[in-house]
Amino acid sequence: MDPELERCLAGLREATEFAKSYRFEMTDDYLSLLARVEAMPQNQSGADKSHVWRALHAFTETFKNVRLLPRNT
Amino acid sequence: MSDPLAPLGREFLSRAVRYLLIGVAGANFYAPRPAPRFVTDDWDLFLPLDADNLVHAWAACDAAGMELWLGDEPLDRPRDRWLADRIIERAALTRATGPDDLKVDLTLVMKGFDFETAWKERRAFLVDGVQISTARLTHIVQSKQAAGRQKDQLFLATHRDSLEQLLKKPELD
Repeated sequence: MDPELERCLAGLREATEFAKSYRFEMTDDYLSLLARVEAMPQNQSGADKSHVWRALHAFTETFKNVRLLPRNT
Repeated sequence: MSDPLAPLGREFLSRAVRYLLIGVAGANFYAPRPAPRFVTDDWDLFLPLDADNLVHAWAACDAAGMELWLGDEPLDRPRDRWLADRIIERAALTRATGPDDLKVDLTLVMKGFDFETAWKERRAFLVDGVQISTARLTHIVQSKQAAGRQKDQLFLATHRDSLEQLLKKPELD
């Protein structure tokens, strides 16, 4: 197997194992971050969020046709 | 291209349907522009345990050209109050699909919250000129933590990291 591919697959296995054991802890810092974001002027009622879906749509359209090209060795 | 949720939001509004956008799609509405958003295929709408409201929500989906599903089966007809009562008894989720690959889950459960509590602190954002009722970001996050699924835990860790990056950008205040 290509050593680079093997390295990537090993990384994915490690990430999978980490995800199984990970436990998220709520912290006061995170809660204060959420409060700060909620308090932003652009997050008050009446704010226009039309750009949100368009940005995500553009992102997924950009990457949906990505193909892995063989490396020239 | 316009947001696929807007036509449904318009139908909800015309029928006075009470709902809250929750989940990842709801959290995305709060992300300041430079911050990364999270790709999701579906929109989670939290509805109260109110049969009339649910019947109106189904009618709105129908008017928006969407199909309704209960699990893998099309939702039975007539989609009346009797059926809504049965769905509410089971706190079952109905899914509305299409057009434009739109997938909307009409859920009666937001883990850790009753509808009225979340409703009182909602934000009314605008999407293509249509008001979209959205739960507070803090409520969305706390609900995800209460749900405790692996995908929620990973979302929270990533979301927290992305917000922490904002602390380094004072111009966002």
